[in-house]
Amino acid sequence: MNKLTGKYGLPLEVKFCKKCTMNNQRPASTIEFKQTDKEKKQTLSFGVDGVCDACRYAEMKKSINWQERHDELENLCDKFRRNDGRYDVVVPGSGGKDSVQAAHILKHKYNMNPILITWPPALYTDIGRRNFDAWLDAGFANYTYNQNKKLHRFLTKSAFLNLGHPFQPFILGQKNLAPRLSVLLDIPLVIFGENEAEYGNAIEDNEKPTRDPKYYSAEVSIQDLILGGVPAKDLIDDFGFKLSDLEAYFPVSPYEIEKTGTEVHYLGYYVKWHPQDVYYYSVENSNFMPNDHRTEGSFSKYSSLDDKIDWLHYHTTTIKFGIGRATYDSAQEVRNGDITRAEGVALIKRFDGEFPQQYIDDCCNYMGITMQQYHDTIEKFRSPHLWNKINNKWELSHPIWKENGSK
Amino acid sequence: MNNTIGIINYGIAGNIHSVKKALEKAGGKTLIINGPSDFPLVDKLVIPGVGSFKGAMNELENHALIGSIKKFDKPILGICLGMQILAELGFEFGKTKGLSLIEAEVKPILCDGKIPHMGFNRIYVKTPNKLLQGVENEEFYFMHSYEMVNYTNISALTKYNGHTFVSAIYKENIYGVQFHPEKSRKAGIKLLSNFVKL
Amino acid sequence: MTVRIIAKLDVKPPYVVKPVHFEGLRKVGIPSELASKYYDQGADELFYIDIVSSLYQREILDSEVERVANNLFIPFAVGGGVKNIDDCAKIFRMGADKVVINTYAVQEDPSIIDRAAKIFGSQAVVVNIEAKRWDGRWQCYTDCGRIQSNKDVFDWANEVEQRGAGEILLQSVDSDGRCRGYDIELAEKVVDLTNIPVVVSSGAGSLEDIKNLIEASNPSGVAIASLLHYDRTTVQEIKQYLNKNLVMPV
Repeated sequence: MNKLTGKYGLPLEVKFCKKCTMNNQRPASTIEFKQTDKEKKQTLSFGVDGVCDACRYAEMKKSINWQERHDELENLCDKFRRNDGRYDVVVPGSGGKDSVQAAHILKHKYNMNPILITWPPALYTDIGRRNFDAWLDAGFANYTYNQNKKLHRFLTKSAFLNLGHPFQPFILGQKNLAPRLSVLLDIPLVIFGENEAEYGNAIEDNEKPTRDPKYYSAEVSIQDLILGGVPAKDLIDDFGFKLSDLEAYFPVSPYEIEKTGTEVHYLGYYVKWHPQDVYYYSVENSNFMPNDHRTEGSFSKYSSLDDKIDWLHYHTTTIKFGIGRATYDSAQEVRNGDITRAEGVALIKRFDGEFPQQYIDDCCNYMGITMQQYHDTIEKFRSPHLWNKINNKWELSHPIWKENGSK
Repeated sequence: MNNTIGIINYGIAGNIHSVKKALEKAGGKTLIINGPSDFPLVDKLVIPGVGSFKGAMNELENHALIGSIKKFDKPILGICLGMQILAELGFEFGKTKGLSLIEAEVKPILCDGKIPHMGFNRIYVKTPNKLLQGVENEEFYFMHSYEMVNYTNISALTKYNGHTFVSAIYKENIYGVQFHPEKSRKAGIKLLSNFVKL
Repeated sequence: MTVRIIAKLDVKPPYVVKPVHFEGLRKVGIPSELASKYYDQGADELFYIDIVSSLYQREILDSEVERVANNLFIPFAVGGGVKNIDDCAKIFRMGADKVVINTYAVQEDPSIIDRAAKIFGSQAVVVNIEAKRWDGRWQCYTDCGRIQSNKDVFDWANEVEQRGAGEILLQSVDSDGRCRGYDIELAEKVVDLTNIPVVVSSGAGSLEDIKNLIEASNPSGVAIASLLHYDRTTVQEIKQYLNKNLVMPV
């Protein structure tokens, strides 16, 4: 007997975590290079006590022996550290607080010699560019893979029109580039910032230090790959793009990974990950700057600052899942004890789902679409079970500030 | 008579909490005065100071306190605005009649410095009295834009940006200080304990 | 008159926190304990700003303010989410001597300054300016340094003086919490073009920073947060250092 679900296979009934501000519509990470618009999402799990997996993990984190984890990281670094002056660890990022901390800690605390690598945003914000420069100013070299702009633009537009997911091309490269460069540069050790599992992927994902290879490596043929909702084969045959440029978005061959001995670790396993602490670390140990004002759709100034497409990304998550940047940010801050759940609710009520006015023009120009096309497209992706039209305005049918019948 | 000090409560404008706490710290027992019937219960009176001259006189009138204050023949301490309203006339928001217990007027401070006069500043005693005993050259906290222009009864003066103004007065049973003893650390508490012990 | 050395408490009740660039909620102590500590060290004044009231759109929370006021015999300025005269009166009842206003005056209705000054007296009304460099000028920010307004800081400083504010607390979003020095250019300009006392805040990382600020801009007061909260110095040490080293222009 099939359980009835809403669009994207989301649960029809919206349930909020008792501890944080997240809800059961939140999708888990996807294998992006196979994503179609028919995909049913795996969503955030809740226990019978009404507490979500991310909170459960946060609770578990309290009993982790961080000294032991530090020792594990030290052993890992000992294993890969080179004494001949050559790079011994790949640190991916773009100069955001996570990669700033990762690079700094690996160099100064664990005595490694990092090479920074970047899969750049489609459209750098000013603050993003400044922070990227500051990251290198701290004394690091960097390989940036600048995508074929025509292709990247095409994929961004396709991903938006076909999947309502303009951020996909960025995510594809972000996961794949580091292992790819690890192979190319013959530097087996790759260390990312925190792990998305922190935010609600399967808890099991958090119990290993390494990222599951399924996210970045696959024995696949071109026939199986779909980018921006367009089969890779069509990108080559019909749209004239070359395999050489497309490869940047493909998963890395497991054979190459094995040959190099590539291991993709995440720092969030070894170091207690508290995003605000990471922010403080960055501002205290480098020239990292937060945003000039609160980021649209949220209240915070320290996260996800460098890519204008990110602003649209959170708008689409609002449309599809009823979850905007303020919900993501507040849920994380509640879990980490920075704010209370009630404060999170007040912030969501005030800012969540805000229209991304600041960069919408830049993004639409980039994708070569009009504002009207933007609005028409997102309507295709709106989940009916989450929205009501009242006085010609879309309103969430189950916002968190109205749970339990409150106003 | 058990040495209870009455603190005039004149409504919205004001923090009498600080004055109360400071008097208690200085060893005094306090009672908040809300109306004429409270006066017989106290042996001394403190008129605290927040708000404006006009606002304060209006409140005193509304609570029918003016007569009782004028009749009070035991020690009175006016603080800041509380000292200013002892005068005959105030010039804040037009002319307002004060309590006329002191022959003086209250006018805007005219000098080159930043106004309000805000911060710790020293007093120089011209005519010693019991209130200022032991704190003759101390610094006290001032926060005011108006000064008492007084030709008699000056106890202490203070200098600010080349300008000298009255910082304390004394006449018969009436003491007045332009500064806030309740905000002036140890020196302030000492002054208040002098008042308690009178 | 010597420059006032003022301890600034940014509060997210029930803790004092220390943001950087007005971001971050790292806890650094309990308000009443820190207030006591700085009072004992000889602070001339205490500023208590509830930094989340406006952002969370809620009332300032009483209990911490009252606890601080209980044993403090120096001036105590309190602000956070002040929207009307009742809010001001509430703050005075809690034991404050001055009320501090920003967000509502900038974003909604500046006449609250006039009304508060009329009722409570100019000397009891402080306007908090969160200044940030923007496009070659400085702009006023609100909601804990998060929301831009279109108000130019210098125009606003003049305006609030006209409206009856008795004091300005001048903060810099660019320098806040970074401990790399004050925004001296900003301070000089605001002190110069106003006739009311200005307390300059944001950025002190060393005793020398404080000295440089005072010598360059001659403020009425300097507000210190990080240096005190992280125990890098004490108020006594600051005063001793200034006594010895400060050279004011004649």
